Amino acid sequence: MNQQLAGFAPTPVTARMENHGRTMLKVAMASGQDLYARTGSMVAYEGFIQYEPNPPAARQIASQWITGEGAPVMKCSGDGLLYLADYGADVVVINLDNDSISVNGTNLLAFDAHLTWGVEKVKGLAKFAGQGLWNVVVQGTGWVAITSRGTPIVVDCGRGEDETYVDPDALVAWSPNLKVKGKRSFKAGSLIGRGSGEAYQMAFSGQGIVVVQPSEDSTDRLRIRN
Amino acid sequence: MAREFQRGHKAKISDLTAGTDLYVGVQIAAPGLTFDISCFGLDANEQLSDDRYFIFFNQPKSPEESIQLLGAQSGDTESFRVTLDRIPAAIQKLSFTATLDGAGQMSQIGPGYIRIVAGGEEVVRYAFTGSEFTTERAVMLGDFYLKDVWRFAAVGQGFDGGLEALLKNFGGEVAEEEPPPAAAPGFAPPAQAAAPPAFGAPPAPQPAPAFGAPSAPRAPQPAPSFGAPAAPTPPPAPQQPMHAAPTIAAPLAPQPPAAPQAPSPYGQPQQPQFGQVPGQGVPPAAPFGQQAPSPYGQQPPGVPQGVPQGVPATGAGLRAALQPYKETATGQRWTPQNQQLMRVDLTMGGAGVLARQGSMVMYQGKVDFGYKGAGFVGRAVGNATGQEMQLMRCTGRGQVFLAEEGSHLHPIELQGDGICVSAENVLAFDESLQYEVRRVEGHGIPGGALFTMLFQGTGTVVVKTHGTPVVLPVTPTTFADCNAVVAWSAASQVIVSSQVRLRRNAYPGHSGETVNLQFRGAPGNFIVVQPYEV
Repeated sequence: MNQQLAGFAPTPVTARMENHGRTMLKVAMASGQDLYARTGSMVAYEGFIQYEPNPPAARQIASQWITGEGAPVMKCSGDGLLYLADYGADVVVINLDNDSISVNGTNLLAFDAHLTWGVEKVKGLAKFAGQGLWNVVVQGTGWVAITSRGTPIVVDCGRGEDETYVDPDALVAWSPNLKVKGKRSFKAGSLIGRGSGEAYQMAFSGQGIVVVQPSEDSTDRLRIRN
Repeated sequence: MAREFQRGHKAKISDLTAGTDLYVGVQIAAPGLTFDISCFGLDANEQLSDDRYFIFFNQPKSPEESIQLLGAQSGDTESFRVTLDRIPAAIQKLSFTATLDGAGQMSQIGPGYIRIVAGGEEVVRYAFTGSEFTTERAVMLGDFYLKDVWRFAAVGQGFDGGLEALLKNFGGEVAEEEPPPAAAPGFAPPAQAAAPPAFGAPPAPQPAPAFGAPSAPRAPQPAPSFGAPAAPTPPPAPQQPMHAAPTIAAPLAPQPPAAPQAPSPYGQPQQPQFGQVPGQGVPPAAPFGQQAPSPYGQQPPGVPQGVPQGVPATGAGLRAALQPYKETATGQRWTPQNQQLMRVDLTMGGAGVLARQGSMVMYQGKVDFGYKGAGFVGRAVGNATGQEMQLMRCTGRGQVFLAEEGSHLHPIELQGDGICVSAENVLAFDESLQYEVRRVEGHGIPGGALFTMLFQGTGTVVVKTHGTPVVLPVTPTTFADCNAVVAWSAASQVIVSSQVRLRRNAYPGHSGETVNLQFRGAPGNFIVVQPYEV
């Protein structure tokens, strides 16, 4: 029995954050290098790791995150290996090299605590996606892990003068320097229930990238339980 | 139907087969001579810039296992498995070569060939004989090369030098020969051809006795990255299932990720073989942009775990991390971006596209999304399923990205032929296609009838499936669950067969009555079934 399962044992650690398979994130923790992770995303850990839900630092930064209940992040500290996952969503590990990225709140899995981060509300769009569209801007040099339902796609926005329009439910992340605005593409017909089904989009313009997932399921599964 | 190539012939792989998971067999033999058959993965300058893509007996697979050496089987002296959509972008050409081991020259060889087999069917063969050669000691048999799409060329070019000359030609370096270690460790078994379901090795006409030991008689040379496992493994029997193979997963000493042949558990890209669609040419599968999961090695217990802050192999920075997921443009109208996302370029070809409502995840350019009166289709389907199938019409100039709930998407290109697709599994199609609704009625089908859409004409239909589907040929005894069947070729006939009370007591509370669809048709027809019963 062990022979067949042994193939899934963790690989030797080579970096702070690594994929274990497509859908699990392995973080090598050490004291002094704290991590912010989505509350409820921990699936396993090995070593001595402590969790502090709703830490004061995060509370201040993310004071307004989704109806003010507090940021759904926990601070993880200690030594060991930490495994995170979000209900089988694909995990993409990004090593920021003095870059910045703006991630949809539900698609952020974990990030280094020393990174600069802040919560933003996309102006004028909150009413479009059901619960409001919140995003976290992370910048600096360090590690970020984001999730995507299905293999994501990355599109260069700065191609030609045309804007890129994204279904807000499928949006994962984008470059913070892009200009964002809401677009309503419905016509009169959609008011009587005959729309194309694509009534609202977010329009991006400028130089940068947009990450989109192949699913319009933006349910925040980690939040359902509380 | 296999095509016969002559020296110099070229063709797109997509014209030969819809599959991208290919078996490449080489037969070359001469009395008293032995041959080394290898595959060079070359970069854009036709140089072997990465030693790990020199696939030969001592290095039987590339790091992400897109190229694997399988050994002798099915009458082939040597065989490879090539998964085109997993080959990294840096590799632009695969050159299959045969070199003489020992004395001799190529003119001595008997009739041989290189062939490509997809889905168990040989699609192309390039045959050669010794009379085409003289004193050469190495020959480049055929190339896979990337020019917009993957293509195959029959080369048949000889080299006077042996393997060393060939290596030098490709810019590689010859490792110094070393005396063989006393106990030559057996290789971990190369991935058996029988393991992945969609990858059909040709039926073996005779048991291939030499299969399990592609390397045993040879001295392992210092291969760059292949760590031979410490445990000696007996050569596996060809029919040994992968699970039973002794996975060398617990070596005693830490070593570079060796070769635990873990069965791919995470649904690695496996281009399904819609192989039997008549006259079909699916647009080439773009690289799915997925990084193969790194080999699962072992972490020896007790090793202190530091926190390396090293830069990942792909390089630092946002762009490097996201590079595998980049948009791919091939200049075709329909381009799969990955298994779950389809890009349609409305600037190619005039007509618009009809897509399921809400399936647009992104678009660029000026595209109009309009309500498409579902008409009879929508009403008929809606009445039965209680949920109207609504379409939107995408017109204009730009690129639209379609996806739905992470389903796997499969473009099926119709060239005058027809296909029936279960209405729930249609994601999008060219407006130029004619379509009509067909009802398959039968007692016991949920909703009273199964609604399918028959597409005919020239254009592309995008079908979505939950999970990797299976394509079955229609035989006199082909049955499918009406909830799991996705599509079938229009020429096959559907019969509802109720297997009444076959297992009356099998499930308490269940009537025991199962409704199946039986398919009948001439050879060449096929059905597509998904691993998910809606």
